[in-house]
Amino acid sequence: MRAFLDNIYRIGGILSALFMFAIFTIVLLQVGANLIDFIASGLTGEAIGLAIPSYAEIAGFMLAGTSFLALPYALRHGTHIRVNLFIQRMGPRTQQVADAWSFLVGFILVSWLSYHAWTLVYESYDYGDLSPGLIAVPIWIPQITLALGTTLLAIAMLDGFISTLMEKRFFISDTNEEIGAE
Amino acid sequence: MGDILLPAFVILIVLFGLLGSGVWVAISLLVVAAVAMEVFASSPTGAIMASTIWGASNLWSLAALPLFIWMGDILFRSRLSDDMFEGLQPWMGALPGKLLHVNIIGCGIFAAVSGSSAATAATIGKISIPELKRRGYDEKMILGTLAGSATLGLLIPPSIILIVYGVATEQSIARLFVAGVGPGIMLVGMFMSYVIIWSLLNKKRMPGEKEQFTWKQRFHSIKSLGPVVLLIIGVIGSIYSGIASPTDAAAVGVFLALCLTKYTGDLTKETFIDGILSATRTSCMIAFILAGAAFLTTAMGFTGIPATLATWIGEMQLSQYQLLAALTVFFIIMGCFLDGISVVVLTTAVILPMIETAGIDPLWFGVFIVIVVEMSQITPPVGFNLFVIQSLSGRNILVVAKAALPFFLILIAAVGAITVFPEIVTWLPNNMS
Repeated sequence: MRAFLDNIYRIGGILSALFMFAIFTIVLLQVGANLIDFIASGLTGEAIGLAIPSYAEIAGFMLAGTSFLALPYALRHGTHIRVNLFIQRMGPRTQQVADAWSFLVGFILVSWLSYHAWTLVYESYDYGDLSPGLIAVPIWIPQITLALGTTLLAIAMLDGFISTLMEKRFFISDTNEEIGAE
Repeated sequence: MGDILLPAFVILIVLFGLLGSGVWVAISLLVVAAVAMEVFASSPTGAIMASTIWGASNLWSLAALPLFIWMGDILFRSRLSDDMFEGLQPWMGALPGKLLHVNIIGCGIFAAVSGSSAATAATIGKISIPELKRRGYDEKMILGTLAGSATLGLLIPPSIILIVYGVATEQSIARLFVAGVGPGIMLVGMFMSYVIIWSLLNKKRMPGEKEQFTWKQRFHSIKSLGPVVLLIIGVIGSIYSGIASPTDAAAVGVFLALCLTKYTGDLTKETFIDGILSATRTSCMIAFILAGAAFLTTAMGFTGIPATLATWIGEMQLSQYQLLAALTVFFIIMGCFLDGISVVVLTTAVILPMIETAGIDPLWFGVFIVIVVEMSQITPPVGFNLFVIQSLSGRNILVVAKAALPFFLILIAAVGAITVFPEIVTWLPNNMS
């Protein structure tokens, strides 16, 4: 079970990384296209008008994928910021209680959020909402990343809650070991 | 005011109760916002939460966030810190204070490729602390210059925290980035002046050895610094000239960082995967906080608290200086317990209407709040730079904080300077194409 859940979190993380790579690629291609246009308009006086249709919008959708699918993976790695100041000064028992409480609050809130996220996906699908750009994407498709990511995060919160009750440490690494944020 | 005071107080207690008991910042923001909406609004809380989070998460401008984090992560895993030390020392030997300036300039340069102050401290410090100690420099000054200048990571573009501020307040990120340049350079100048004055007054505590560097060494050093400087000019220049949006510039920055590390042989399969996964985690964490903050802002709109607060402050007839002085103290206290990003998003949810009522330019305010957050990086008990330097130097966090105190005071002076002369912040962005 432990390995199974960890694999799910990791797959979410890898998908997120792939989305990030995709954002990088699509933006870079567009910059390249702009550059060619710039040179062309300098040479011939006329821009070719190279553009990836709706690239900004699509990059935004992929950003949602990056942000949401990695939620449980980041939780497991202790990346999500919390205030450790007070709980670190408590005894191990109190720390455990604080962890369990945090996971419980997280589980309730995120489950509720994921329920409404799935509702949002269903409504977008039902109304046939399309993105406004040149390439009209049915908006429920990118919204699935929100629903899926929060569902997995709810599972991870429950996982953390149970692990803490069973006196097992949930976090792989020390909290806030990641320094890229500040 | 009266009918809002009690609920506002309850919301505040819930927020600090959750944060203090260790609940993640993003989750705390969402819970507080949900509670506030349930109390104040008749609209469906859950549905608004889901759609607000979605709306705050698929923005083109926010796509700059993961890319700039990734760019910093790539370079953090490279030999840039060695190159920086080697490349800068022939140039700094002649100034009073000598290699202490390597810390300041090195941090300034790394800040211009990374949006993070802790990463800046770690990158520069891992080489400069042992090297400067070996040469007999005063430990207090080594740690102080490093702690102080590394905070520039927040201000000098690309800046993660300015992206957060820009997205949360719907300000142009490009303009915010450009606004950070002037004060960033000013702070480098102030830090260097302090080191020069200190070393002239404390000649005995400076190492006596005289290292002579030839012009040949200096030109040679350009080889190790040149590529990074080109990277910086490329990224900031393209944003300033309007050729590229910050997101475009970030993608080009990642590309150049990959080329650079490929060229120096630092790019392996492991470092690539490590870098991209670490950037994914960090950016997911920040995006989640931003999503929570967006919902909190919406919920606060329903409560009417920020508007009431704005009116209340308006009625007090405070001058802008008084208001900013009060806010500075408030932020410094908040920064003692919270990380910078949380300070910024909490502020934008509640304080921004007040700022606008007082006639303060939100662009200028973004830079102001970042400099105040910089101070919080070097104040105990929660200061990320202190944590990093503690682990690098093996010195207790209080020792590091004491060493950083002069730089904390310089940051306060900088806040004063941009308040009296707001042009330091606004001149460059107002002259952008």
